[in-house]
Amino acid sequence: MKIYTGSGDRGKTSLFSGERVSKGDLRIEAYGDVDELNAMLGALAATAPPEAPELGEEIRRIQSDLFHLGAWLATTPDSPSAGMLKKLSEDAARLLEADIDRMENGLPALTGFILPGGHRAAAWAHVARTICRRAERRVVVLTERENHAEPLSAVLVYLNRLSDYLFVLSRHINRIAGVEDILWKP
Amino acid sequence: MTLPDKGRSVPARYKTAVLQRRQLSPGTVQLDLVRPHGFEFTAGQKIRLYRGNVSRDYSLASAPTAPFLSICVRIVAKGVLSPVLGAAKKNDSFSFTGPHGYFVFHPSNRHPVFVATGTGIAPFASICRSGVSGVTLLHGVRDLKQRYYAELFNRSAKQYVACLGSRKNPAQGTYPGRVTDFLAEKLPPGDYDFYLCGRREMIRDATWIIDDRFSGARIYTEIFY
Repeated sequence: MKIYTGSGDRGKTSLFSGERVSKGDLRIEAYGDVDELNAMLGALAATAPPEAPELGEEIRRIQSDLFHLGAWLATTPDSPSAGMLKKLSEDAARLLEADIDRMENGLPALTGFILPGGHRAAAWAHVARTICRRAERRVVVLTERENHAEPLSAVLVYLNRLSDYLFVLSRHINRIAGVEDILWKP
Repeated sequence: MTLPDKGRSVPARYKTAVLQRRQLSPGTVQLDLVRPHGFEFTAGQKIRLYRGNVSRDYSLASAPTAPFLSICVRIVAKGVLSPVLGAAKKNDSFSFTGPHGYFVFHPSNRHPVFVATGTGIAPFASICRSGVSGVTLLHGVRDLKQRYYAELFNRSAKQYVACLGSRKNPAQGTYPGRVTDFLAEKLPPGDYDFYLCGRREMIRDATWIIDDRFSGARIYTEIFY
């Protein structure tokens, strides 16, 4: 089965809501970043230490959330197509908060900045965190352009929480893998 | 981009059986299937039909309210599933998942233009049977026998044009050219929502023509492989 049509060969693509836009459009940049983040989470899951078997399922849940976020980013909020998408509820962000709280319970208090790195999966988590922040910045600009449309606000909440989750996750992975945080010494 | 099916990660799987097989044209059949209890869909969506380990997607041609499910099958000589479906008898059983896809009608203040090639007409049959009317429908066919559901479209479309690929010897009521020729040469300027269903080459060429001629148009696509 060939997956290509070639209809995007001239630099335009169709949004889920049907509009033809440049592949350089802010919406495409935004869901492209979310797509990149999703791929990075796949790399993270593939290198997760065996001491944390629960991570695989947790990350797959987040990857699924990111597909829904991407769908919203590919859809103009007031279009009929938006009615076909799964509503973004606060529950997904709440789940991330619960994950953060659970992991933080086992971590020593931070006394300074830490250098990104350590276990391979922890290093991927740091990379994922920076991609997540980039996605968030793009969505902020998109939200301002779209007059703070409701679905985009929910996307922002989720990405903000996911960045925090990924930071804590990197420390959590290092802890269970027996790798100590490396504090930044200015 | 690829989108998840709404609200669930694992689509439901259903059992079905053939109610009847109808020859639409040489090489193409319509299968009417038992509609399982609880199976709902929106006009334009498709099912994934399984026989053993093999699966293929088929758009539903029947109305969402019909008591049975209809699919159009073009029989590919060296195909894996289509020859089985083309020879299917009453009560032959299959399984399917669904509904899949987002190729559904989006009401708007722009004029809808449906463009199909071959059995790509199936989702438009379902959409028109669900009550959508007043559309422009372009159907690319090799000969007049491939004008599937012509009676339905004559009734519900504002303009129904069978586009014969050849420019020689045009039959009455048909357009002597491809659907893309019609889009490039005949469709007047206007605000449109385009729905394209067919082979990828048609989707690509039509999209480029629309980009060039109809700025601001919406395009929804479903590719037939």
